[in-house]
Amino acid sequence: MSTTDTLAISPGLPVEIGRIDKELGKLWESGDDSKTRASLINLVIYTESAESVAANTDLISRIASDHACRAILIFANPSAPEPAARAWISAHCHSTGKGSSQICSEQITFQLDGQTSAAVPNVVFSHLDSDLPLCFWWQGDFPVDPDENLWSWVDRLIFDSQTWMEPSIQFDRVCGISHLARSRRVLCDLNWTRLLTARFALANIFDHSSVLVDLPNLRDLSVTHAPGARTTGILLVGWLAAQLGWKLESVLGSHCFRDKNNNEIRFHLREVEGASISRVEFNSPTMEILLNREANSDFFHAVIRGQSIPEFTQILPAGRDSLREHLLMELSRGGLHPLYAKALKAIRPLLGAE
Amino acid sequence: MLPRACIAGRKGVVFDLTKYEMSDTNAPVFANPLREGLLSRALAEPCSLVIFGATGDLTHRKLIPALYNLNSDGNLPPALSVVGFARRDKSDEQFRGELLEAAEKFSRQKINPELWDGFASRISYHRSEFNNVEGYHELARRLDEMDKTHGTRGNRLFYLAAGPDQFETILNNLRESGLNIAPEGGWARVIVEKPFGTDHPSAVALNSLVEHAFHERDTYRIDHYLGKETAQNIMVLRFANAIFEHLWNSRYVDHVQITASEPLGVEGRAGYYDKSGAMRDMVQNHLLQLLCLTAMEPPTDLSADAIRDEKVKVLRSLRKIEGADVAKYAVRAQYSAGTVNGKRVAAYLDEQNIPLESETETFVALELRVENWRWAGVPFFMRVGKRLPKAATEIALHFKGAPPVLFNQTGGTQSSLDDNVLVIRIQPDEGVSLRMSAKLPGTSLRIEPVKMDFHYGTSFGRPTPEAYERLLLDAMAGDATLFARRDEVEEAWKFVDAIRAGWESGKDKLAFYRSGSWGPSEADALIERAGATWRRL
Repeated sequence: MSTTDTLAISPGLPVEIGRIDKELGKLWESGDDSKTRASLINLVIYTESAESVAANTDLISRIASDHACRAILIFANPSAPEPAARAWISAHCHSTGKGSSQICSEQITFQLDGQTSAAVPNVVFSHLDSDLPLCFWWQGDFPVDPDENLWSWVDRLIFDSQTWMEPSIQFDRVCGISHLARSRRVLCDLNWTRLLTARFALANIFDHSSVLVDLPNLRDLSVTHAPGARTTGILLVGWLAAQLGWKLESVLGSHCFRDKNNNEIRFHLREVEGASISRVEFNSPTMEILLNREANSDFFHAVIRGQSIPEFTQILPAGRDSLREHLLMELSRGGLHPLYAKALKAIRPLLGAE
Repeated sequence: MLPRACIAGRKGVVFDLTKYEMSDTNAPVFANPLREGLLSRALAEPCSLVIFGATGDLTHRKLIPALYNLNSDGNLPPALSVVGFARRDKSDEQFRGELLEAAEKFSRQKINPELWDGFASRISYHRSEFNNVEGYHELARRLDEMDKTHGTRGNRLFYLAAGPDQFETILNNLRESGLNIAPEGGWARVIVEKPFGTDHPSAVALNSLVEHAFHERDTYRIDHYLGKETAQNIMVLRFANAIFEHLWNSRYVDHVQITASEPLGVEGRAGYYDKSGAMRDMVQNHLLQLLCLTAMEPPTDLSADAIRDEKVKVLRSLRKIEGADVAKYAVRAQYSAGTVNGKRVAAYLDEQNIPLESETETFVALELRVENWRWAGVPFFMRVGKRLPKAATEIALHFKGAPPVLFNQTGGTQSSLDDNVLVIRIQPDEGVSLRMSAKLPGTSLRIEPVKMDFHYGTSFGRPTPEAYERLLLDAMAGDATLFARRDEVEEAWKFVDAIRAGWESGKDKLAFYRSGSWGPSEADALIERAGATWRRL
C-alpha cells in the first residue's frame, strides 16, 4: 500500500467523528415512517486496502438485507505520513416485501491515517450498538503484537485464511489472539465456513449404511482445490483426519496419514481452476467415492462405486462459492467451532509445506 | 484400539463391518463420525415413505414440496424412496409429472430441473384400492425390493394423507399384510393427519385402531401448527429468557387472549367443514395446542414425552365447561353476508353445498380457566373464526397494570395506562412484540403506549421452512416432540365434547356476525364481563 492511498469513492455522508451519533440520529429523523432501523450484531471490518472499501461497502449492503447490523468499516493507512481521521455515515435499506416498509442498517466508515491507525480500539468501542454481539472481520495479516484491549471484547473474530501468504505464521498469531483474556471469543475462519457444504456433502454420502461401513477402510484421498486455495484443501484433509482418527506422518518431507490400526492413508492435493474445492476422491480396496463440482455449479455430484453395491449417484447442495455467502452462513450459523481447532491441529505441519 | 474394519456401535458393541451389504437390514447403525458438528437435531434415517392418498391435495400442496425443499437443502437421508399409494390408474412417469407441476406451484424454493430429476427418481406410484389387501402384499414385496436396491434398511414410514373415512381400512390392511411390523433392525411408523376423530369416543376408537397396528412410540399425529417456527419459539421465549418466566403466572398476568382469525370462508371444503365446524376444525387441535405451550410448566428435559407430559397436565387442568356454563363461557356463531377485503361475500348458509338449516359454527369464543397453581384466577380467552377482517394467529399475554399511584391514576389530569402486552405472532408476520408505556417528549407529562417488535422475517433474513418440512424430517428421525400424543388428543376431545353437548342440547342459540366484522356482540360481552376487550389486530 502506498502512503498516498485514499478512498476513490465516498462511502456516504462525511461527518465529524465527534458528531457521528448525532448525524446518524438526523438520518432517521429526516426519513419517513416506512423505514425501520434494525440491528442484530455489530459487524466491524478492518482493512488496509483502499481499493477494498467500495467492495466492502457493497458487501455490507448485501449482507444487511439478510442480517441487519451496525456496520463499522475501518480503512487504516498506517504508513500515511500525517495522522488524520475521517468518517462517513450511510444507511442500507431493504424492502421487507410488505408494502413500502424498509429495514435499514447503518454503516460508519473510518479512514485512519498514520499514527491514528492505532486508535482502532477507541473507534470501535465508541460506536458499537450496545448489548449486541461484536463480530470483527480482520482482513489481511494479523499484527505481531495483538492489542489485548481490542481483542478481548470481540465475540466472533472473523478472518479468511485462504487469503494468507504465510498461513503457518498467521495461524500462530490467531491462536495467540484466541488465548487472550476472554473465553467467549469464537474463531471464525471463512475458509472453514467455505468447507461447510463439502463437509455436509461428504457426511451425507457416508450416511448411507453400505458406504459408512467402508469408512475405516479408506486408503487414498485426493482433494482438488482452486489456485490460491491450498489452505482450503488442507483444512478439508485436516477435518477428515481429525474425525477419522488419522495421524499425520512425515518422513523426509513426504506426508501420509496412519489410521488407528497403523494403515497408511495416502493423500494428494491438486490445483485446478474452478471452485475452492472442486473434487474429492476416496478409495478403499472395495469402494470408490467421487464428489465433483463443475465450474459455476451450485451442486456437488457424488458417484459411489463398490464391489458389493450397485453404482449410485447423489446430487447435493454446494451453495455459492462467494464471500457474501460464506459470511452470511457464518453469521447465520453462529455457535462454536470446536472441530476447526481439531482439524487445524491434525494438519498443522502441512501449512508451511508446499 | 479397535480391530481392523470394526467400529464401536451405539452401545459400545464392536461390530465386524465387512460382512454387511446394502440389503442387510441387520447391519448395525453406528454414528457417522463426519456428521459431528453438522447437525443439531436428530438425523433423518433412511426409509421408504409410503403416502396413502397420493393423488390428493395434501400430497401435492404440502408433502411433495416439503420433501423437495428438504432434498434441495441436503436434509433428506441419502437412502429414501417415496411411494405414492392411490386408487387411480397411472404410471410412475405420469405421477411424477403431476407432482412436478404441483411442486412448481407450491414449493417455497424454485424447482431446479437437475435436482428435481434426482429427487423424482426416488418416487414411484403404487396403484391399489385401499380395501384390497393384495395391494398391500404387493406393496410389501415392493418395499422389500427397495430395501435391497435403495438401502432403505427395512424402515417404513406410512403417511395417512387420505380422508379420515379411509383410516380404518388402511390401518387394518397394513396390519393384515404385516407391513406394520418392520423387518428386524428396521422400524415402521405411521403419520396420522387430523382430524383425530370427531369426538372423544371416535378419537378413542381411532387411537385403538392405530394402536392395534402401531405402537404409540411409532405413531405420529400431525398438527402442523406445532411445526411452525413461532410455535416452537414459545418454549424458547419462555424458558430461555429468564426475564419472562417469573412473570408468567397469575401474580402478573391479568388474562391471555389466543386468536386465530381468517378472512376466508369455507372455500370448497363445505362438505368437511359443515360436519366439523370451528370447534372441531381449530379449537380441539391447533388452539388447545397453543394454549398448552403457553400455560405448561417447564418440562424436565426436551424429550418428546417430557414435553408432552406437561402439555397433557394443562389439558387436564382445564375447567370443564358443561351444562349451564356453556352459555356463559362459550359463544358460537355463524357468518352472515358482508364485505371482506372490499368484496361482497355470501352468508355461510348461502355457500355452495351448505344445507340451508345448518347450525355449524364458523366462529367460537371461549373463556377458559387453567386450574392449577400457576394460573389460578387467570382467564384464557380464545376466539377463532372465518370471514373475519384479517388473517392472524397470535397469543397475547396481558399483564396486570402498575399500582394506581404516580402515573397510573384514573381521573384528574392523568388517564389510566395501557397494560403491558406480550404478543407472540404465530402467523403471518411471525414474531414477538411487547407493548409498554413511554413519556411523550415535551414539557408536560403525557404517557403513550409504544411497541418493541421482533420480526422473524426481517431479523433473520433466511426463509422459514414450511411446517411440513420439519415434521416429515422429525418423523424420519424418530422425534415425536412436535406430534400429539394419544392422551393429549383424547383429553382435548373430552373438553371440547362437553361444550358441544351443551350446544347440541339446544339451550344455547347460535349467534350471527357480519362477514368482515370481528365476530358477534356475544363474544364482546363474554370478554367484557371480565373487564377486558378483544385485541384489535
